[in-house]
Amino acid sequence: MTTGTSAGRWLELSVICDTEAVEPVAELFARHGYNQGVAIEEPFTQDPDGDHFAVDPSRPVVVRTFLNAADVVPETIAEIRQGLWHLGQLRAVGDLVISEREEEDWANAWKAHYSVHRVGRRVLVKAPWHDYEPQPGEIVLELDPGMAFGTGLHPSTQLSLMALEDNLAAGDRVLDVGIGSGILATAAALLGASAVDGVDIEPVAVRSARENAERNGVGAIVRVAQGSVGDGAPFPGEYDLVVANIIARILIELAPGLTAAARPGGVLILGGIIDIKEDAVCDAFDAQGLTLERREEREDWVALVLRKPEP
Amino acid sequence: MAKRVRGYVKLQIPAGKATPAPPIGPALGQHGVAIMDFCKQYNERTQSMAGQIVPVLITVFEDRSFSFVTKTPPAADLLRRAAGAEKGSGRPNADRAGRVTAAQVREIAETKMRDLNAVDIAGAIKQIEGTARSMGIDVVA
Repeated sequence: MTTGTSAGRWLELSVICDTEAVEPVAELFARHGYNQGVAIEEPFTQDPDGDHFAVDPSRPVVVRTFLNAADVVPETIAEIRQGLWHLGQLRAVGDLVISEREEEDWANAWKAHYSVHRVGRRVLVKAPWHDYEPQPGEIVLELDPGMAFGTGLHPSTQLSLMALEDNLAAGDRVLDVGIGSGILATAAALLGASAVDGVDIEPVAVRSARENAERNGVGAIVRVAQGSVGDGAPFPGEYDLVVANIIARILIELAPGLTAAARPGGVLILGGIIDIKEDAVCDAFDAQGLTLERREEREDWVALVLRKPEP
Repeated sequence: MAKRVRGYVKLQIPAGKATPAPPIGPALGQHGVAIMDFCKQYNERTQSMAGQIVPVLITVFEDRSFSFVTKTPPAADLLRRAAGAEKGSGRPNADRAGRVTAAQVREIAETKMRDLNAVDIAGAIKQIEGTARSMGIDVVA
């Protein structure tokens, strides 16, 4: 697949402006930009683990468009400059910045980010377009990177998967809460779980998890439903192992439901915990009567392995 | 899901016409997003709106997975259509590009309400009037 244009050079035009000026600047850019396209980048704020994401309207916005260099006549740039100057009389609009960019194979270049990578100790993830011959003892999981979170590139996914490898016994029944792309549920099935149930509140994740389980031949073992744990849980049973790779705030909220989903003597794996919230998560699960068996960290993320006591 | 956001981009592109060419390729490529996957899904979701600009907000997470939501067409696009103007004025403080009625502005404000950070319809109307001014479009009774 080519990128749909005659190969060559592009001009990238960008301007920094205040929130109010974004619409008129975008309108001006769309008149001249390739495919009427405009890209707008608004600054944002978030907690260290991505919680409380919000656009920050107090900071300026970058508006960009691209012109195919072959189509550009000097009058085009002059017209855009003039338009921006006039908008600048009404709103805060910065200087036009023009930079040249070579045509790239945008349709395929991103694939370079997804080589075959080791996610756990034994489990490797590969994209569908890679061939890989597994070494003895290795388990290769094929994942089509896309919309649902869980490509295996995130430390929290890697920590959760390693904890699964260490704690899963053949024949275990597993519940994956916040299944995302299905990477952990599929890995659990490939590691020998007899049944894996997964839930996610996002429909996109439910669909993607099903597809990825089927892609790896474990569609009959992995069941996926929209929902969570606690009241109204689609899978209300008790499991040998419960894994939840979710941010700390949600783990704390779900502590009673997650605990109830584990059988007495069963294991809970909690991933997705940013280091600064580890204590709060420990407190919440301590209050549920669980005992901490192991903790692992990678970068600023922590995973905990907890056990529910026998009565 | 531990979803730390690494990129947040709004793209204004014509409905059903997303391709890996600019601006989508460079905007999403730098974050390692599966571009064809995005284009396919955007085009499916917007094909019934052909001829309109349908903005889309794309959130790219730290592990390069993404999600997106489509938005109502930009106020500038709706104003231009309402005014029957091919484009906004290149010199909005001097040349007029066209005119819209207050009723048309209200209709646009109602369409855009869910995407504007306005507390009520009066605030939304003010924002649309501001955009009209910046485009050299007059609002008449």
